[in-house]
Amino acid sequence: MISPFPKSASAAGEGHIVVKLLPHDISALESITYQYPLKLISPTVKATQQSVVVFLLSYGGGLVGGDQVNLKIDIQPFARLSIVTQGHTKIFKPAIPGAITRQQLSVNIQDGAALCLLPDPVQPFEGSLYEQTQVFHLNGRASLCLLDWVTHGRAARGEDWDLLKWTGRNEVWFKNQDTGLKDRLLVRDAVLLDGTSKSAHPMPLRETMHGHAIFGTLILRGPLTQSLGEFFLAEFSALPRIGARDFRTAAEKEKGPEKTAFESWRASRIQQELQDGVLWSAANVRSCVVIKFGAATVEAGRDWIGSMLAQEASLQKNFGEDSLLCVR
Amino acid sequence: MSSQIRDEGNDEDTAQLEAEIADLEARLKSAKERLSRSSPTPSPPPKLNNSDNILARSPSPPTSSHHFLLLLSDSALPLGSFAFSSGLESYLAHQRSSARKAGQQPRPSFTADFLPLSLSSYASTTLPFVLAAHRDPTAVADLDDQLDAAVICTVGRRASIAQGRALLGIWERSFVSSSSTSSAGAAAATGTAEEVLKPFSALLRSTGSSSSSTAATTTTDPQLPPPVSAHLGPLFGAVCALLGLTLPQTAYVFLLSHAKALVSAAVRASLFGPYQAQRVLASPETQALIAAFVAREWDTLPEDAGQSVPVMDLWIGRHEMLYSRIFNS
Repeated sequence: MISPFPKSASAAGEGHIVVKLLPHDISALESITYQYPLKLISPTVKATQQSVVVFLLSYGGGLVGGDQVNLKIDIQPFARLSIVTQGHTKIFKPAIPGAITRQQLSVNIQDGAALCLLPDPVQPFEGSLYEQTQVFHLNGRASLCLLDWVTHGRAARGEDWDLLKWTGRNEVWFKNQDTGLKDRLLVRDAVLLDGTSKSAHPMPLRETMHGHAIFGTLILRGPLTQSLGEFFLAEFSALPRIGARDFRTAAEKEKGPEKTAFESWRASRIQQELQDGVLWSAANVRSCVVIKFGAATVEAGRDWIGSMLAQEASLQKNFGEDSLLCVR
Repeated sequence: MSSQIRDEGNDEDTAQLEAEIADLEARLKSAKERLSRSSPTPSPPPKLNNSDNILARSPSPPTSSHHFLLLLSDSALPLGSFAFSSGLESYLAHQRSSARKAGQQPRPSFTADFLPLSLSSYASTTLPFVLAAHRDPTAVADLDDQLDAAVICTVGRRASIAQGRALLGIWERSFVSSSSTSSAGAAAATGTAEEVLKPFSALLRSTGSSSSSTAATTTTDPQLPPPVSAHLGPLFGAVCALLGLTLPQTAYVFLLSHAKALVSAAVRASLFGPYQAQRVLASPETQALIAAFVAREWDTLPEDAGQSVPVMDLWIGRHEMLYSRIFNS
């Protein structure tokens, strides 16, 4: 008989999720296992849901120095999975100096399957050491929507990028069906923040961030995220030119041509971007769309990405409302 | 553990330097012997002024690798670097617009802010690829593909590829015929210097033609990127190795050239004049920055490279959003 209790301490923080497709196009969990300090919760399957939703949690709502989380996910052909969290992933200062907190995620997405990973941002506290590696292997026409974002720490305690080290690495691989051929790296996005003197910067980390309280990267690939990628690229090229002047008078601006609902949304969003110090860019990188953004406050960053995803609306349609819990 | 690796790296350098010195001494000795054989009568005492005397008594003749070091660090090297500001123009525009919003005068600081950030970012993202390609020039195609996957902005990619292709052109048209005379240790180990980059150029040409004719791409997925793009970093490392430059020289010249390109862009963006530009380049701060960033990345593997200044990606990526532009990046 298989013991329901953890077998050994060496597997602490290990987790494994397998998602399959049931008849009538319903995605369901085939198996889900996890061990302290990792906790995975999935609400019961509803016949109407577009994807399986799994909450990725940690006991006590954060990770302390030396914690290791190692999650493996397999998504079988044409199944869909959404991963969300409940509040920021807090990274505490290690009790033992130098102990690095690690999170590793290894995902295999089969042909036609999809993963929507929109967690809350990671919040590294003062003195924290953190390394995160997320590797995604996509087969054939698999789809991926991945958001990875990091904040400046506990603003209430005056923290502003006071972490010691933060490393975030995301790799998207195209898996070759032919076993003879090597897998192909499509995108490797890595951010290395160093608050120690090893950075060799003549100024503190805070100053290198130029007033941004949050930095994020959104990576999109595959048929289920295609329209979202095109939306971001179109909105990026529709941004007003920096340094351009508007010579119209206030009255002329008022009178301008009648705006559609979408144009009004765009105009007010651009206004909000200016007000909140949101800077962003979008690029087509080796058949993926990569969006980078930063904002002067954590809430402004969340509002901005939430507004973009809600306006385009394909994620709700393809993965269900719950996939967007963390960006609302 | 990393300090151990660093020590090994230094040992390797010391050994390399010692080998170079031994080589130079041997060549000096043989040159002197040949000179004494060819001119049995002592040459007439030179009636020259002091400075010429120094040249005449120069202890060692400049080697071929010194010659190529000077060529590769020359701002006249036709890479087209002058067309790119590596985000400086965009940085200035963003500083201006945020200052206007706050109702202040813009206070962009080149030497205290942009220069160190840009050097740090360039070192953390690209220098590991330069070092890896120097250590193994035959791996340049794989390194190029990895770097292409890591450059996540259109503007930065365009700049890197334009200069990389220019460097490959200089190598093929201008350097390769002279490279056999260089005392390239790496080339000796990997076959003749001119052979090393041939498979790479062939791969690059094949992708160039296949993108224009769709028939040639039957074996590869249309969703997949071309096998090589010719980014500047890996090619620079490989070419320097083939011309006999040492690893420290290569790393230093790579970052110094970036600093020179930035300073030159700053002059053309009217931040300061040519004397101030030279003062910035000559300053101990700039020298220390370059040395510190080379040391920081010395043991970084290409797969561990990444962006140390995230806001740089935003500035470079948003260069396309500028209303008026004088640079391509």
